[in-house]
Amino acid sequence: MNAPIIDPLQGDFPEVIEEYLEHGVIKCVAFNHRGSLLAAGCADGSCVIWDFETRGIAKVLRDNDCAAAITSVSWSKYGHRLLVSAADKSLTLWDVSTGDKIARTTLQQTPLHARLNPGLSSPSLCLACPLSSAPMIVDFEIGCTTLLPVCVPEMPDVLAPPQRSKCAESGPPFSPAAACFNKCGDLVYVGNAKGEILIVDYKSVRVLALVPVSGGSAVKNIVFSRDGKYLLTNSHDRIIRIYENLLPAKDVLRSLEDLGKNVDGVDGVEKMKTVGSKCLTLFREFQDLVTKMHWKAPCFSGDGEWVVGGSACKGEHKIYIWDRAGHLVKILEGPKEALIDLAWHPVHPVIVSVSLTGLVYIWAKDYTENWSAFAPDFKELEENEEYVEREDEFDLMPETGKVKVSSVNEDEEVDIETVEKDAFSDSDMSVEELRYLPAEPIPDTNEEQDELKLIEARISASPASEEAVQNGHVTDLVSSPQGEEMGETRGKRKRKPSEKAMELQAEKAKASKASGRTVREKSRAVGDQEIDESVNGGGDDDDDAYY
Amino acid sequence: MAEEVPSASYIPYVHSQTLTSHAHALSSLKFSSDGRLLASASGDQTIRTYAINLKGDPIAEAAQVFTGHESGISDVAFSTDARFIASASDDKTVKLWDVESGSLIKTLQGHTNYVFCVNFNPQSNMIASGSFDETVRIWDVTTGKCLKVLPAHSDPVTAVDFNRDGSLIVSSSYDGLCRIWDSGTGHCVKTLMDDENPPVSFVRFSPNGKFILVGTLDNTLRLWNISSAKYIKTYTGHANSQYSVSSAFSVTNGKRIVSGSEDNCVYMWELNSRKLLQKLEGHTEPVMSVACHPTENLIASGSLDKSIRIWAQKK
Repeated sequence: MNAPIIDPLQGDFPEVIEEYLEHGVIKCVAFNHRGSLLAAGCADGSCVIWDFETRGIAKVLRDNDCAAAITSVSWSKYGHRLLVSAADKSLTLWDVSTGDKIARTTLQQTPLHARLNPGLSSPSLCLACPLSSAPMIVDFEIGCTTLLPVCVPEMPDVLAPPQRSKCAESGPPFSPAAACFNKCGDLVYVGNAKGEILIVDYKSVRVLALVPVSGGSAVKNIVFSRDGKYLLTNSHDRIIRIYENLLPAKDVLRSLEDLGKNVDGVDGVEKMKTVGSKCLTLFREFQDLVTKMHWKAPCFSGDGEWVVGGSACKGEHKIYIWDRAGHLVKILEGPKEALIDLAWHPVHPVIVSVSLTGLVYIWAKDYTENWSAFAPDFKELEENEEYVEREDEFDLMPETGKVKVSSVNEDEEVDIETVEKDAFSDSDMSVEELRYLPAEPIPDTNEEQDELKLIEARISASPASEEAVQNGHVTDLVSSPQGEEMGETRGKRKRKPSEKAMELQAEKAKASKASGRTVREKSRAVGDQEIDESVNGGGDDDDDAYY
Repeated sequence: MAEEVPSASYIPYVHSQTLTSHAHALSSLKFSSDGRLLASASGDQTIRTYAINLKGDPIAEAAQVFTGHESGISDVAFSTDARFIASASDDKTVKLWDVESGSLIKTLQGHTNYVFCVNFNPQSNMIASGSFDETVRIWDVTTGKCLKVLPAHSDPVTAVDFNRDGSLIVSSSYDGLCRIWDSGTGHCVKTLMDDENPPVSFVRFSPNGKFILVGTLDNTLRLWNISSAKYIKTYTGHANSQYSVSSAFSVTNGKRIVSGSEDNCVYMWELNSRKLLQKLEGHTEPVMSVACHPTENLIASGSLDKSIRIWAQKK
């Protein structure tokens, strides 16, 4: 809807760190379908959901049974459910709007990666990739796990043994295989240690096609683009490969079956490969020829135009961005902390990266003020232009009046109600999407309200009072052990706070103390040197206006 | 209830009820999005809500009174789920109230002059407020923090509105400009102005977010197309040269524009033909605010004469 108004170059890539979010030690992040909510799993087993627009915490999902670090988070398609896998081998399914646990199972191994079926609106089916076993389908409703085949043996009529049990499988230990659902959720693409991509129908536990990855080295990550047209694999040979998905979007199973039937004369593995070659074709390869680094958490941008990969080297936080044609367009460098997870916002040119220290960095475009937006008759020039005057430009014309002939045809029909279909409703609208969690305003306490009045009075009195307020605020942080309320609000987001924002913080800090007034008197005497810090941290009011 | 109209199919609105609970002039009226409540803000420093019972007689019954502001109130807005009300006051604050209980939840401090207008975004996680300090502030509902301060205008900001999906904010000011902002980043996207720029007293988005209805202090209402940055309709006949009179789209029964006026009447035009359909008479002082019920053919008007009048369509 806003496409004609907003700058078309917005579908671009981010450049600088805009902000960072903090809540304990974050391990992994995931955006919901529209990018309005960001879910993050913490090292203490809780899961926090940020409202990405206000950058404030919308919900915290805390399970008292689970205190182990979260290894991955995954949203359901319409954002109603969240799947969380943890280091204590458990998988928990949460209902996002109520914050209740729907189901929880424990697996044999710790799942490194778990994904909810993207085809269903209320999925209870998910794909889990454990550390040292084959990927499995876990059905919460029935309560069973199904191991998926990881390789196709050479014998033509024996398919990989399907196992329907919760017992440990006997067999050679697999190295971790990566797997993902396709866009509609009826196929699973498995990348195995031999460097092959298997297309598996998980309902019948059959391998339908096989695509060998050139180079034959183990596949570490396998990810689809949002529109399902491209597939990305990250291999042990440090190359990211992009495949084009040739299968149609709907009725995929039937197309695959048809393809299988049409292939004559070959059987078994060869047949799989032939079918496979009709499903995926290699499109591009990305690697860093200079440093030959391993990649971590590669993924597509929301529109599939860009591919992003994080460097897996310890001690550096580098994000590489390529365009789909294969050119490296940007390397983003963050603070010297290893990168552990990465996500691209589904809509905006925003990247979110998680560092080893548990902070979530938000990368966005560096904004340059668009002055012509402020004055419509202002034309921005790239460089000086020579202006040539007309002959009669400055002549005095006797008859020039301010007669403005309105060239507007006011009789045209105007439609004020029709809304264009959203670019993001790429599926049926039968299910209401959970885009936002309702905001629950945190009530001001009575003390805060008194303080507010006091502060207002002081502000109108003198500017020096602001310093005192800030001063009190800083020492309160130090002296009061129960700054939880403060900690909570501060923990959400960190921006350069303006003086006004600092006041609001100060009010909240005061509320946590029983005797606000006396403390302030005391603390004013205490920290004179704190004033410098707080004033510098406060920043300029003018600055704030140009955010 | 004079009828100005031509077409026989037009059923005129008639006066249904007068509410005189306020002690001072009315400044703003809003219906909740489910149509069950009407909120009114007044110079007597209170906000009142009324329960709307369409089948009842009287239609509107007093529900709650919200006291706490230290100065007159210029604007009030419902959150989308009608659980909260935000009010903009001359005491430089925006206050957030709980509708059911009538209690004050939060006070949003930050403006340095009278706060003139306020609105929730459709997701109701943000509030935009415009003030005499020439800025528009965007607040986070949950924490009450000011998320952004937009250097919007060079004169008092008279109106703010969010579009349908909450991605854009439009602001108008006495400096004659209407500006459109990206609510996520706070960047200015467009400025709409004409050759002559009379002070703009009111602005709001059309239901589909493609047009804005702009009221200016030269007795004119215009409908602008945002993408082409030109106005496409003009509505005249009413009087508006002093006050910030609000107007609204009425879509429940044919597309219409409804506006208050300084000649004590409520004007209603047909949107496309721009014909004046009806002039609702009854108030004894300038009509400052009008609100259209979201689903029923009901109009509420608030005036400087301290009364609210409800107009319904004659059955």
